[in-house]
Amino acid sequence: MDLERFIRERRGRWARLDALLADVERLPDKAIGVERLDEIVRLYRQACSDLSEARSLTANAELLERLNGLAGRGYRFIYRRSYGRRWLDAAREFLDHDVPATFRQERHAVLVAAGAFALGALVGLGAVLLDARNGERLTPAEFSSESPRARVERIERGEERIDSVEKASEFGAYLFSHNIQVAFLTFSLAALTIVGGVWLLFYNGAILGAVAGMYFLDGVHVFFLAWVGPHGALELPAIIFGGAAGLRLGQALLLHGEVATATALRRAFPAVWRMLIATALILIVAGIVEGSFSQFSAKTVPYPVKIGVAAVLALGLAAYLFARRPGASRHAS
Amino acid sequence: MSAIGERRGRVVVTPEHVEVVLDPAGLGHRFLALFVDLLVVLSLSVLVAQASLLFLPLGIAGIVRGVAFLLVGWGYHVYFEIAHQGQSLGKRTFKLRVVDGRGLPLALEQSFVRNAVRALDALPFGYAVGALACLFDRERRRLGDVVADTLVVREQRSIPTDRRLARERAFNSLRVPRILRAIRYQVGLEEREFLAALCLRAEALDAGARFDLMEEVATHYRRKLDVRDIPLGGEAFVRGLASILFADRAAAPHR
Repeated sequence: MDLERFIRERRGRWARLDALLADVERLPDKAIGVERLDEIVRLYRQACSDLSEARSLTANAELLERLNGLAGRGYRFIYRRSYGRRWLDAAREFLDHDVPATFRQERHAVLVAAGAFALGALVGLGAVLLDARNGERLTPAEFSSESPRARVERIERGEERIDSVEKASEFGAYLFSHNIQVAFLTFSLAALTIVGGVWLLFYNGAILGAVAGMYFLDGVHVFFLAWVGPHGALELPAIIFGGAAGLRLGQALLLHGEVATATALRRAFPAVWRMLIATALILIVAGIVEGSFSQFSAKTVPYPVKIGVAAVLALGLAAYLFARRPGASRHAS
Repeated sequence: MSAIGERRGRVVVTPEHVEVVLDPAGLGHRFLALFVDLLVVLSLSVLVAQASLLFLPLGIAGIVRGVAFLLVGWGYHVYFEIAHQGQSLGKRTFKLRVVDGRGLPLALEQSFVRNAVRALDALPFGYAVGALACLFDRERRRLGDVVADTLVVREQRSIPTDRRLARERAFNSLRVPRILRAIRYQVGLEEREFLAALCLRAEALDAGARFDLMEEVATHYRRKLDVRDIPLGGEAFVRGLASILFADRAAAPHR
C-alpha cells in the first residue's frame, strides 16, 4: 500500500471540499448556487469513500481523524434541514395555529401537570385549615413575619407601593425574568426525571394553597384574590405549562417504549419548544401585570374590578389554547 | 477496527454507509468557551442597558430592557447554534461545535430545549450541575445535551495540503537487499504507523526538537537494523526508512 500516493492524489480535493464548506457555512442558502452544491456533494461522496479506504489502509490517527472531520462536516451540511420561510409569516402561524394546536394535542401532559399542582394546592389548603400553624411550616419565612390581616391593613392604609410607571416597568421585568427561570427549571427537572418535575409542581401548589389558607383564616380572602388573581391567572398556568412541556419531553426520554430514544426525543421537540415559548410569552405578560395592575390597592382599583380582570385573563387564555375555533379544525390532529 | 473507532465518541453512519466519529469535547475547553460566551453576553447586556436608558422613555425602559436581557441571555446561544452551525463565539475560539446527536446541525427546537435546561445546569452557581453531569457522562454531555440529544464536539483541523509523507527519493542509500530484509523482519505495524506520524508531523515541530527526535529515532533503528556503514543524517535516515516502508510492498511487514 502506498499511503503517500494515496494522500498526494487526494489531498487536492480534500482541500477543495474544506474550502467550499468553509464558504457555504457562512453564506445564506440562496447564495450557495447549484454548481457549488453539486461540487460539494460530489467531493463529499469522494471524501466518504476516501475515509472508508483510508480506514482499511492505515491506522494513522492523524490522517483518519482529519478525513473523519471532513466527512462529518460535509454530512452535516448536506443532510441538514433548511428554513425557507419568512420569519414574520412563521411567527404568525406559530401563534395563530401551532401553539393552540400543540396544547390541544398535549392536553394529557398539561392535565397531569395541572393535577399535580392542584393536588398540592388542596393539600396545602387542607393542612392550614386543619391546623393554622401548618401555614408557617409550609411557607417560606417571609410570609410569616406578620399576620395576613396586619399585612392587608398596612398595604391598604399606606401609600401605593408602585407609584410610577418606571417602578412598575422595572419590577415587572424583574418578575418575568425570575419566573421564566423558575419555569425553565421546572421544565428541566420534569424532562430529566419526571418525578422531580411533578414534585416541584406539587410543592409550588402546596405553598400557594397554604398561603391562600392563611389569608382565608384571617378573613381577607377577597384581598388575596384581588392581589394574586390578575397575574396569577396567567402565571400559574404558565408554570404548569412549563412543567407539562418537561413531562412531555421526559416521556420521550425515559418512557419511550419501543421507539429509540433519539427518535422519540425528535418527535417531542416541536411540541415541547412551542409550549416553552408560549410559557415564556405568557410569563412576560404576567410579569407586566404583576408589576403594575396587581399592585394597586382598593383606593385606586376596586377589588371586584381586579377579580373580574383576573377571570377575563384566565378565561381568555383557556379559550385561546383549548377552545376549538372555526377554521382551526382542519389543522387539529 | 481502526484506532479511531476505539476511542470515546459517538459513531454516526452516513447514508453513504461510512462511519463518522463525533469526538466529544472535554470539560476544560467547554468551560473556557462558556466563559468567553458569558463575557460576550454580559457586555451585550450592559450595552443594551445603557442604550435603553439613553433612547427610551423611562416608563417602558424597564420592560424593554428586561425583554432584551432575556433575548440576549437565552437567544445568544440559540442564534449562534442555528445561524453559525453550532459555534458561538466562545466555541469558535476554542474550536468546539454543538451538533445534533446524529451528526447533523441543530434544529431550532432542539437548540431551544438545550438552552432552556441551562436554568438547571447553571445551578447552584458557575454551572456546577452541568459540570458534574459532564464529568460523569461518557460523551461529556451536560443535562441540556442529554435532553436535547446534542453533543459538543472538537473540530478537527483541516487536512494538510503541503505536508508530505516520506516521499520516495530518486536515490535511497538504504535500498540494499540486506537492509530491506532487516526492515521486513524487524519493523512491525505499530512502528510503521509511528514513523508515518513522525514524518507527517515533522514540519510542525520546532527545529531543535525535530533534529533531536529524528537523531534519536535514527540511532534506535541504526542499532536495531544493524546499519553502521551508511553516512546519513538522522532525518534523512528516518525518511529513507519510511519511504521504503510505504512505497515498497516487498519491504512492508507481514500482516
